[in-house]
Amino acid sequence: MIRRLLVVLAVLALSVGTATPAMAYEPVNIVHTERVQVGPYGLTVGFSTWPLRAMQSLDFTFIPDGGIDGKSGTFVRTGPSGSHTYPIPLARHPRKRDVWGLDVFALQVQGTWKFTFAIDGPQGHGEGTLSNLQVLAQPGPPLALSWVVCSLPFAGLIAFLVIAWRRSKPQLALA
Amino acid sequence: MRPIGAGFVLLGTGISMIGASWDVQWHIDVGPDTFFTLPHLFIYAGAAIAGIASLVVVLAVTAAQRRGETPDPSDGGVPVRVFGGTFTAPLGYLVAGLGAAAFLLYGLIDLWWHTVYGFDAVLNSPPHVALFTTNSITMIGAVIIAAAAREQRWGRIAMAISVPVLMTFFPITANAFQGVPLPFDTIVAATVLIIVLMLVVTRVAIGRPGAALGTAAALLAMQAILWVFTPWATETYAAAVGLPLRDGLGGEPSLIPAGIPLAGLVAAAAIELLLKRGPALAGGIAGLVLGLTFVLQRDWLGFAPPVTALTLIATTIAGGLFGLLGGYLGARFGAMLRIREKVAA
Repeated sequence: MIRRLLVVLAVLALSVGTATPAMAYEPVNIVHTERVQVGPYGLTVGFSTWPLRAMQSLDFTFIPDGGIDGKSGTFVRTGPSGSHTYPIPLARHPRKRDVWGLDVFALQVQGTWKFTFAIDGPQGHGEGTLSNLQVLAQPGPPLALSWVVCSLPFAGLIAFLVIAWRRSKPQLALA
Repeated sequence: MRPIGAGFVLLGTGISMIGASWDVQWHIDVGPDTFFTLPHLFIYAGAAIAGIASLVVVLAVTAAQRRGETPDPSDGGVPVRVFGGTFTAPLGYLVAGLGAAAFLLYGLIDLWWHTVYGFDAVLNSPPHVALFTTNSITMIGAVIIAAAAREQRWGRIAMAISVPVLMTFFPITANAFQGVPLPFDTIVAATVLIIVLMLVVTRVAIGRPGAALGTAAALLAMQAILWVFTPWATETYAAAVGLPLRDGLGGEPSLIPAGIPLAGLVAAAAIELLLKRGPALAGGIAGLVLGLTFVLQRDWLGFAPPVTALTLIATTIAGGLFGLLGGYLGARFGAMLRIREKVAA
């Protein structure tokens, strides 16, 4: 048995060793853009997936005209219900360091969203909003079905504990 | 053979837990994701190691039983007949093996999920919650295996490793309740329930004064290891694949180790002192302590918005109530782990 387990471990170790150099992260592809005027600054908002769907993660890029050097800013996202986030600093995209952006980021609910930007730079402070950002319904099966399928292990665990509980007699022995 | 089989199950669950802590931090600090990242490999390899070890032990015990040997319940727990007696599976290995098999199945579902929704950084997607649950089931199997050998030293050592692993990992499942509007912090309440429950389980199962304190100390040691390892591994791996850390990181400690209550020793001391007055009372007091201190800890470490007095009070009370439940359930589950029947399967 030990030998078999060692073989398994060796195979796993080998796959770790060979997997590392093969890994490459996908480039940020922009398939659609929208323009926003943020005070004196023109801003191009890029999307890696279009049209947008609820819960589907994608890359967002925020590219001010003339690049991000010497500029800083924040953005606020407002959902269809009108609830909004605190202003978040515009940060460089992890895989596209020359622009601002968000990676593996999803808008969770269907409806009309707004992105409000504030930018500070050589021409002073500016604010602007990308409104009417339509987010379609989530892809895939209904969420309730996904939750039911994925709750089965938890239900199974509870059933197991209940059966074990009913089959055993309490015999508390505290030494 | 016994300590070896148990050792591989423990090793698997440990690797999975370390991989999970690393993976969560990778998403927070670095970001880019594919299925084939090193942290994912740790998580899945850990499950595979635990699962294969369980399968091998079940086959070995079945073969021994067919040779006419009587299975020993200290070897992984009470033997259970599976498929009408085709297999004889010690309960702990059966649970660990089923958990690992289900984990790998839900891994496929998670892979499909990512093709539909894209790679994500949320902990509470349905497949993720299923993955956390199934991995926790494997860890519960590891606890049953360890408890079965509690009369031997290696069994008690295995208990001191398997229980803190479960305490660290299982509460992550509570992320499923993140969207449910409740007046108290659900993550804190779930963490309190699991920690109190497992402290009482251990104390009752081992049946020796100090067992709960020892477990809390082992949990603290595990937290320290993750606290050092997680950021180091994340930064080193990012450097190795040529990716920078995200802009604007706030310098918070890593999410998973910071999600372990620091006051576990105080809760364990309360359980040690009060258990004979009733496990529910002991659990309730320990839960109050953990509820109060853990909310403050999350606030202090910057993982939650500044805590309001109302949330603090509601979560402390919830901690007490969940601790009470944990104490009550823990005493019974602990007693169940003590059962030693020689079953002729």
